[in-house]
Amino acid sequence: MTGKRTMTLNLTDAEMSALEELSARKDLNKTAVLRQALRLYQLIEARVEAGEKLYFESETTREKAEVMFL
Amino acid sequence: MSVNSWVVYLFEVESSQLVEAELRDAILEDQLEDWENHWQPELWSAMLRLKAQGVWPVKQESAHWNWQDKIQSIRSLLAYRTFCITCGGMTQGMMQVDLTKSARIESQKGKPIVYIDYLENAPWNRPTLNNPARYRNVGTLLIRAAIELSRAEGFKGRIGLHSLPQSNNFYASKCGMTDLGPDSDCQNLRYFEMTIDQARSFLEVPKE
Repeated sequence: MTGKRTMTLNLTDAEMSALEELSARKDLNKTAVLRQALRLYQLIEARVEAGEKLYFESETTREKAEVMFL
Repeated sequence: MSVNSWVVYLFEVESSQLVEAELRDAILEDQLEDWENHWQPELWSAMLRLKAQGVWPVKQESAHWNWQDKIQSIRSLLAYRTFCITCGGMTQGMMQVDLTKSARIESQKGKPIVYIDYLENAPWNRPTLNNPARYRNVGTLLIRAAIELSRAEGFKGRIGLHSLPQSNNFYASKCGMTDLGPDSDCQNLRYFEMTIDQARSFLEVPKE
């Protein structure tokens, strides 16, 4: 849609494996996975910065665990 | 900020003709001014007019949506995208989507979707307020834009949304989306989702 710019990304084997695994699981190409990650990272950062907290909640026990965001 | 636009066609009811309109991938200040200065006054005057005619107007379930607040809260966040359709120098429809949600249908569970946060038609295009409506096709074109965005982002056409009760039939019948039933986590609104195949079918079927 909007203009795109190209960059080279250097990843370790483990990072590349994780990216490939996510790519397969999410049915996305690697670029789309990284763009999705950037969207989420920016969104979480903005909400935490605004004073909100990030939690994971267990579906079974309803137990909540706060995620520390650095 | 660069804004892309495409020529689309709305069905003008009065002339029974297709008229040229513009789809843009942004909601800008012009749209917010149209919402405040034209949509809101028209919404309330139409409801008063119907009451004066002895017709109890169908509840406008999106009446409390404040587009200025919505756009302000997502400004510069990559997770959200907005679209509008303009025709005759006026905003005819607006949509906000979220790119961080995942699919729920078992066959595509966990895969990313374009989730439609809000989709609204101008009051004069709603037959429940203004019969006959001025333009038709606005909602369909915005759904199409969501599907095209889903494809462009690599989500392959998958989209999802929670529907206001007045729109359930539109999403089920006209859009061919799967109805996953009421969602207790979202005011019991029905959740609808479109698969890759449903998206393909939607794009293939010629719209009026």
